[in-house]
Amino acid sequence: MERREAHDETTLVVDPARLLEACTHLRDEEGFDVLSDLTAVDYLGWAEKGVAGYFGTRAGRDLNAPATEGASVYSQGFARSPEPKPTRFAINYHLLAVRPGAPRVRVQIWVDEGQPVPSVIKIWPTADWHEREQFDLMGITFEGHPHLRRIIMEDDWEGHPLRKDYPLGGEPVRFSGDE
Amino acid sequence: MAVRKKQRLADYGLNSERVLWRGKGPGVFEQELGNLEDRLMLSTVDKAVAWAQGSSIWPDTFGLACCAIEMMSIVSSRYDIARFGAEVFRSSPRQADLLIVSGRVAHKMAAPLRQIYDQMLEPKWVIAMGACASSGGMFNNYTILQGVDKIVAVDIHVPGCPPRPEALVEGIVRLQEKIKAGVPPAYEIRGVAS
Amino acid sequence: MAVTERPRIYEGSRIPSPIPSMLVLPEELRGSDEILQVNFGPNHPSTHGVLRLVVDLSGERVVGLRAVIGYLHTGFEKNMEQKTWWKAITYAPRVDYVSYQNNELVFVLAVEKLLGIEVPPKATWMRTLLAELNRIHSHLVFLGTGALELGAISMFWYAFRERDQILDLFELLTGARMHTRYYQVGGLAEDIPKGFDPEARKFCEWMPKAIDEYEAILSRNEIWLERTQGIGLLSAADAITLGQSGPVLRASGVDWDLRRDQGYLAYPEIDFDVPVYPNGDVYDRYKVRIDEMRQSVRIVEQCLDAMPEGPWIADDRKVVLPPRHELHTSMESLIHHFKIVTEGFRVPEGEVYVTVESPRGELGCYVVSDGGPRPWRVKFRAPSFVALEATATCMRDALIADFIAIVGSLDTLMGEVDR
Repeated sequence: MERREAHDETTLVVDPARLLEACTHLRDEEGFDVLSDLTAVDYLGWAEKGVAGYFGTRAGRDLNAPATEGASVYSQGFARSPEPKPTRFAINYHLLAVRPGAPRVRVQIWVDEGQPVPSVIKIWPTADWHEREQFDLMGITFEGHPHLRRIIMEDDWEGHPLRKDYPLGGEPVRFSGDE
Repeated sequence: MAVRKKQRLADYGLNSERVLWRGKGPGVFEQELGNLEDRLMLSTVDKAVAWAQGSSIWPDTFGLACCAIEMMSIVSSRYDIARFGAEVFRSSPRQADLLIVSGRVAHKMAAPLRQIYDQMLEPKWVIAMGACASSGGMFNNYTILQGVDKIVAVDIHVPGCPPRPEALVEGIVRLQEKIKAGVPPAYEIRGVAS
Repeated sequence: MAVTERPRIYEGSRIPSPIPSMLVLPEELRGSDEILQVNFGPNHPSTHGVLRLVVDLSGERVVGLRAVIGYLHTGFEKNMEQKTWWKAITYAPRVDYVSYQNNELVFVLAVEKLLGIEVPPKATWMRTLLAELNRIHSHLVFLGTGALELGAISMFWYAFRERDQILDLFELLTGARMHTRYYQVGGLAEDIPKGFDPEARKFCEWMPKAIDEYEAILSRNEIWLERTQGIGLLSAADAITLGQSGPVLRASGVDWDLRRDQGYLAYPEIDFDVPVYPNGDVYDRYKVRIDEMRQSVRIVEQCLDAMPEGPWIADDRKVVLPPRHELHTSMESLIHHFKIVTEGFRVPEGEVYVTVESPRGELGCYVVSDGGPRPWRVKFRAPSFVALEATATCMRDALIADFIAIVGSLDTLMGEVDR
C-alpha cells in the first residue's frame, strides 16, 4: 500500500487482495461516496520500444544520463525512458467525495492477465456497467459481479479490443493513384 | 407567351449548380443527366410518376450519431426540408422512401440497418450522409463499417464531418433530380438485393 | 392517479438487486402468459440515438428492463492511441456530439495538466464562454427532442431556432458549426475574430426572451405537468450511490456542481447560481435544465464583459506552433514547427484524471502518457453511461407511457455511452 502524489492528484496503490477493505474504508470513513470512473490500463509494451529521437531504449543507444534537477523532461538530451510497470494491467478507481472542495482520490491495483479482481459492486452499485465494460474491452474478470457479460461489443465477439495486442483493424486505404 | 423548346432537365427549372452561378452553364451532373434522359426516353406517364416520386420523398428517422444532429436541423425551420417535399420523417421504415444513414455504423448496428433497409418498400433510395457513412470516416478500425455501401446500395454520398445542413439539402435535391431524370434506384443499377 | 396524489420522492433505496442496472422479472411472472416482452430497438424515434431497451410488460406496467448498448461503439480510445496528441483532439468532440466543446475541453485540459503548461487568460475566458454556449446548445436539443417525444411538437421548432443561432456564433468564431476543433493544447487554435462580440451580445439579449417563451409553452401546461410530475423518481441517496451527476443529481436535491465546487477555467471568478430542485422527477430535471440555460446566458455575458486582451495560446515553443512570420527568420522556430507537426510534441510520463461539468454531468478524461508523442491510454468517463444505469431505478413501477419521458429526461447520448 503506497501513496503517490502527482499533478495535484493522490493515487493510492493497493494490494488486490485488500481492495474491498480499502474501498469500504474510503467510502465509509473518508466519505468518498461516488465512484466516478473505473478504468483498466494495459501496459503491454510499455517502455520497450524506444520512442524515437532523444529517448533511447534501456537496452542500447542510451545517450542519456538520468534527468538532472530542473531540466525539462522533453529537453533534448536529458530524457529518460519510463520505468517498467510491475504487471500488465492496472485498474484505477477514481473516487469523489461530494463535499465542498471536491476531494478526489485514485485507487490503483496492479494485476496480471487472467487474475480475477474482486468486484466493488456491493460498495458502489454504479460499478456494474463500468466493470462489464472493462471486462468486455480489456478482459479483466471481476469476481462477485452478478452479470458479467459483454456490454459494448457483440455477445459472441472474440478478443478484447482495447488490449495492446489486439490490432486496430479496419481496411487498408486504397488511393486512386495506385491503380 | 412563346413556347420554348424544353429539352434538358435544367429547362424544367430543376437547377442545382445553376442557382448559384447564373450564366455558368450546365454542370457535369446536369450534362450527365441530360444524356441519360435522352437515352432513357421516358414516356410521359413515367415522367409524371418520376416527378411525383421525386417531389415527395419521405425520409426515415435513422439518426445514428453527429450527422443526426445536422439532419435534425434540416427539419427545423431555417433549413426547412419540407419545402423540398420531405414533409415528414416517418419512424416506420415501411412508410418511408428514403433512408438517410447519418452517422457512423458499427458492426453491431449493421444488422439492424440492413433490417430497416429490407423493410422499406420499393422504390427506395439511400443517402449516405457524412464521411462515416460514406467510407468509415476517420474511424478506420475494428468496429466501424467502412462505408455503408458495403451493406446497402447507396444513391448519393454527402461528404462532410458533419455536412452542413445545406450540403445535405443539396444531396436531397440532387437525388430528386436523379429520380426525375429517370435514373433507377441504386439497387437496380447495381443489381443487388433490395 | 391524479397529479397531486403522486409520490414525489421516496425513502430508502429503490436500486434493484442484485443487478443494479437491470429490472429482473420476478420469479412468479416468468413464463407467464401475461408478460409481453417488447423490444425498443436500436432504431427508434424516441430513444436518443441507438439505445436498445428490452422491456417486459405486465399490462401497462414495466416489470422487467434491460438496456443493450454498444450499437455506436466507435473505438475512440483505441484510435486515439494511434494518433499524436494533436490529432487525437479531433477525435474527442465526436464522443459526445451535442456538447462537443466540452469533450475537447476535457481532453485538452488533461493534456495541459500533464504538460504543466500555463494557458493565457484570454483562452481561459473564451473556453468558459464556449463551454456555456455549448451547455445552452445541449439543453436546447434536449428540450426540443424531449418535448417532441412527449407530443409537444412545436417546441422542437422553437428550440432549434435558437440552436441555429448558437451554431451561427460557432461558425463565426471557428468556421464550423459542429465539431469545431477550436481548442489547442496551450490555448485556442486561432484568435477571436472581430465581429464575435457584438453578435454574441445580440444573442444574449435575445435568449432570455426565448427561454421565457419555452416556459410559457411548457412549465404550467397541464398536459406537460401530468406527463412529467411524479414520474421517474430518483432520490438523492440513490443518485449518489449510482454515481449520477449534473442535472439528474441536482433535480434529486443534491446541491453539487463541479463548476462551483471544484472550480476550473474561469468559473471561480464568475457569479452564477446553481439550480437545485428537490423532487427527483422528470419535471424537476426539465426545470433544472431551463434554469441552467438562464444561468448560462448570465455567464456568457460576464465572459464577454471580462474578456481580456492578449495572446490566445501559450508561448511554449516545444508544444505550440511558433507564429508563422518567425519561420522566415528563425531556424529554431522552423525546427520546432517541423518537429511538432511531424512527430508531435511529447507529453511527460504520468496519468491524470480531469473532470468538467458537461451538460449531462461529470465528464471525465483519464489520460496516461508514456512520455512519447502519442497517448498511451485515454478514457472518457461519460455521464450518460452512468445515467443509463439509473434507468432501472427510475423505472420501478412505471407505466409504459411514462417510459419515454423518463429515458428522455436522463438526457443520454449514445455516442458517449458507447464511445
